[in-house]
Amino acid sequence: MKKEGIVKLISAEGFEFVIDKKAAMVSQTIRNMLTSPGSFAETELGEVTFPEISTTILEKICQYFYWSMQYASGKETEFHIEPELTLELMMAANYLHT
Amino acid sequence: MSNPQKKRNFQIEAFKHKVVVDPKYADKTWKILEHAIHEIYNHNASGLSFEELYRNAYNMVLHKFGEKLYSGLVTTMTAHLKEISKSIEDAQGGLFLEELNRKWNDHNKALQMIRDILMYMDRTFIQSTRKTPVHELGLILWRDNVIYSSKIRGRLLDTLLELVLRERTGEVINRGLMRNIIKMLMDLGSSVYQEEFEQPFLEVSAEFYKGESQKFIECCDCGEYLKKAERRLNEEMERVTQYLDAKSEAKITNVVEKEMIANHMLALVHMENSGLVNMLLDDKYEDLGRMYNLFRRVTNGLSTVRDVMTSHIRDIGKQLVTDPERLKDPVEFVQRLLDEKDKYDKIISSAFNNDKTFQNALNSSFEYFINLNARSPEFISLFVDDKLRKGLKGVSEEDVEVILDKVMMLFRYLQEKDVFEKYYKQHLAKRLLSGKTVSDDAERSLIVKLKTECGYQFTSKLEGMFTDMKTSQDTMQGFYTSHPELGEGPTLTVQVLTTGSWPTQPSVTCNLPAEMSALCEKFRSYYLGTHTGRRLSWQTNMGTADIKATFGKGQKHELNVSTYQMCVLMLFNNSDRLSYKEIEQATEIPTSDLKRCLQSLACVKGKNVLRKEPMSKDIGEDDAFFVNDKFASKFYKVKIGTVVAQKESEPEKQETRQRVEEDRKPQIEAAIVRIMKSRRVLDHNNIITEVTKQLQSRFLANPTEIKKRIESLIERDFLERDNVDRKLYRYLA
Repeated sequence: MKKEGIVKLISAEGFEFVIDKKAAMVSQTIRNMLTSPGSFAETELGEVTFPEISTTILEKICQYFYWSMQYASGKETEFHIEPELTLELMMAANYLHT
Repeated sequence: MSNPQKKRNFQIEAFKHKVVVDPKYADKTWKILEHAIHEIYNHNASGLSFEELYRNAYNMVLHKFGEKLYSGLVTTMTAHLKEISKSIEDAQGGLFLEELNRKWNDHNKALQMIRDILMYMDRTFIQSTRKTPVHELGLILWRDNVIYSSKIRGRLLDTLLELVLRERTGEVINRGLMRNIIKMLMDLGSSVYQEEFEQPFLEVSAEFYKGESQKFIECCDCGEYLKKAERRLNEEMERVTQYLDAKSEAKITNVVEKEMIANHMLALVHMENSGLVNMLLDDKYEDLGRMYNLFRRVTNGLSTVRDVMTSHIRDIGKQLVTDPERLKDPVEFVQRLLDEKDKYDKIISSAFNNDKTFQNALNSSFEYFINLNARSPEFISLFVDDKLRKGLKGVSEEDVEVILDKVMMLFRYLQEKDVFEKYYKQHLAKRLLSGKTVSDDAERSLIVKLKTECGYQFTSKLEGMFTDMKTSQDTMQGFYTSHPELGEGPTLTVQVLTTGSWPTQPSVTCNLPAEMSALCEKFRSYYLGTHTGRRLSWQTNMGTADIKATFGKGQKHELNVSTYQMCVLMLFNNSDRLSYKEIEQATEIPTSDLKRCLQSLACVKGKNVLRKEPMSKDIGEDDAFFVNDKFASKFYKVKIGTVVAQKESEPEKQETRQRVEEDRKPQIEAAIVRIMKSRRVLDHNNIITEVTKQLQSRFLANPTEIKKRIESLIERDFLERDNVDRKLYRYLA
C-alpha cells in the first residue's frame, strides 16, 4: 500500500523499515528510484527491496539518513559507527551513492 | 559511509566480494538490461524494478564489464533511433513535425530513465574512461541518427521555414509545436540550432524583406512605409520571444533593419510629398517619432534625419529672414522666428525623444539664419519694445517670463550682441523717458537675464538708466518743495540723465517758450546749487509735454505731444498764421525734426490740430500753418503720434552701424592687449583666433578690423613686429 511522504525499505532478510521519503532521498540512488520519470515498480509501490543489504546495515543506514538531515540543518553531532560494521557500510554507501 | 561535512572520505579499493564463477554472467546480466531498455522504449517500464536494474548495472561495472555495458547501450539505442527515424520519415505532410516532436519527447523520457538506471556507470566508469556521459550520448545519437538523417534534415528545415513564411503572410501556425522543435535543436547544442535553422532562417528573411521593402517603397508613402516596417520589426521580435532562441533577436532585427530601413534610408527621407520635410511641415509627430525610433536602430540613421532637418530649417529660416515682405513689420518678424522655434522645440520634445544632438542642430540652424540678416538685433529689440510698451498688458507674470525667456533665447543666437545692446539702449531710453513702459518688473527681469547671460559690463549702463529715473523723481520732489510758489502755471518734470549711460545725441537745443525756459532756469540753479561741479544741458529732442488747448467751437482737449511739438504749438498762442520759415526761426528746431514734427501735427488724419496751406502730404519750406479750428476728436486726451521706436530708416541704420563699429575698436584693442600681455609673443593667426574667441560673447570680430587694430597698436608702441619673423608680434611693456 502506497502512502505519500513515506517509503518502505526492505532488507535482504525481509525486515521492513518505514521512513520519511525526505530522509530516504539523502541517498542519490533512492532518490532516482523514486523520482525517475518512468513508472518503475519502486515508484508505483513506494517500497524498495535491497537483496544485498543486511538488516543491521540497513538499520544503520536509516539512522544515518536522519542524522544527515539534522546535520545539514546545522546540528553538529558525531555519528557513531561500530568498527565491525564499517566495511559493509562503506559498500552500501557506494551503492546508494550517499 | 562517507560523511560529507567532515571529510571522512575513505578511498575504497574495488571490492572483490564475489568472484564471478559463471562465465556467462556478463552476457546474462546484459540481456536483462537490454531487455529493460527495449521495454522502456516500448512504454512498458511499469513492471521493471529499478533496484534490480541498477544493481545489475552496478555489478557489471564493478566486475569490469563497463565497456560491454557501454557499447551495448550505444548499439541498442542506435537501433531504436533508426527505427524511430524511419517512423518519422514515413509521417505524411503536416504530421511530420508532430511525429518528430512526439518521438523526441519519448526519447527524452527514455533517455532519462536509462541514465538513472545506469547512474553508477555515469559516476565511475565514464568518469575514469572519459567517455561521453549517458544523457549527452543520447542527444548525440539522436542528432546523428534522426536529425542528420538524409530524409529528415532538409525536410525539417524546409518545414520550419515554410511555417515562418506562412506566419509572415498572416496565417496562424502551431506556435507550441514550433517552440518545441526549436527547443529540441537548441538542446542538441547551439551550433546545431545555428546550422540547422538560424543561419538559413536569416538568409531567407533577408530575401523576404528585400522583396517586401521594394514593393512597399513603390506603393506606399513614407509614413505608411514606416508603419509597416515598425510592424514587421515588432512581429519578428515577438516571433523570437514566442519560439526562437533569445540570442536570435539581435540577428533577425538586424536583418529587418538593414533590408527595410538602412537600404532605403535616403529614399524614405526624401520621399516626395511625404518625406521628412513634409512631416516636419505638417507637424506629424507620430510619423516623426516612428521615423526617429526606427532610424535610431541603424548606423547613420539619425544623422541622416538630422541633416535633412537642419537643411530644411535653414532654408525656411533663410526665407524668413530675407523675405523683404517680412522685414516690414519687425514685431511680426520676431514672432515668426519664435513660432518657428516653438514648432521645432515641440517636434524634438514629442517626436525626437528630446535628443540633445537634435537640439544642438536646431540651435545651430537658428544661429545660422538669424545672423544672415544684419537687422535681427534691431528687430529683436523692437519686439521687446513692443511687448514692454503694450503687449504685456493683462498678461500674467509667468507668461511675461515665458516671453522674455524666449526673447533671451533668440538673443543667444545673435553674433552681434553689442548691436542689440545699442538698439536696446535706445529703445529703453525712449520707453523710460516717455513713461511708456508697462511693467517695471518685466523691464528689470529682462535686465537681470541679460546680466546673467553677458555679465555685469553688458548691463551696467542699462541699470544706470533705471537709477537715473529714480534719482530724478527725488530731485523733482526736492525742487518743488523748495519752490512752493510754483504750484500755479506749467509743471516741469526734469529727468537728469548721466552722460554715457544714455544714448544721447549731440542735439541743438531749441528755443523753449518763455514760460518754460524761465522754469528751466529755476531748475538749473536749484540743481547746480545742490550738486556742485556738474553741467546740465537740455535734451529737448527727447521730452514730452501735455498741453491743454481750446479749439474754435470751444471744445477742450488735452494734447500729449513731444517737446518740439509743444514749442511749435505754443507759438500759435500769439498768432493765427505762421509760415514754415517763421516757425523755424522762432524755435530753432533742426530741419529734419521740425519737418517730422509739423507733419505729425498737420498731416495725420484725426490728429491734425494744425491746418496747412497748401494741403499736401509733405512739408514744404514755403508752407503756412493755421490752428485747425474744426479739429474734433471723441476723446478728451489726444496723443499726437511722434515717430518713436519705429524701424530705423536707412541713414539712421548706417549711423548706428558706424557707432557700433566705432565702439568695437577699443574693445578689440583691449582684447589684443590682454592677450599679448599674458602671451608676450604670438603670431598673427593665433591673435585673430584668440581675439575672436574672447569677443564672441559680444560680437563677431572682423579679421581685417583686428588687423587694423594691431597696426594701430604697433604705431602706438604697444606691440612690435619680430625682426626675423614678420608674422610674429611682441608685446612691449
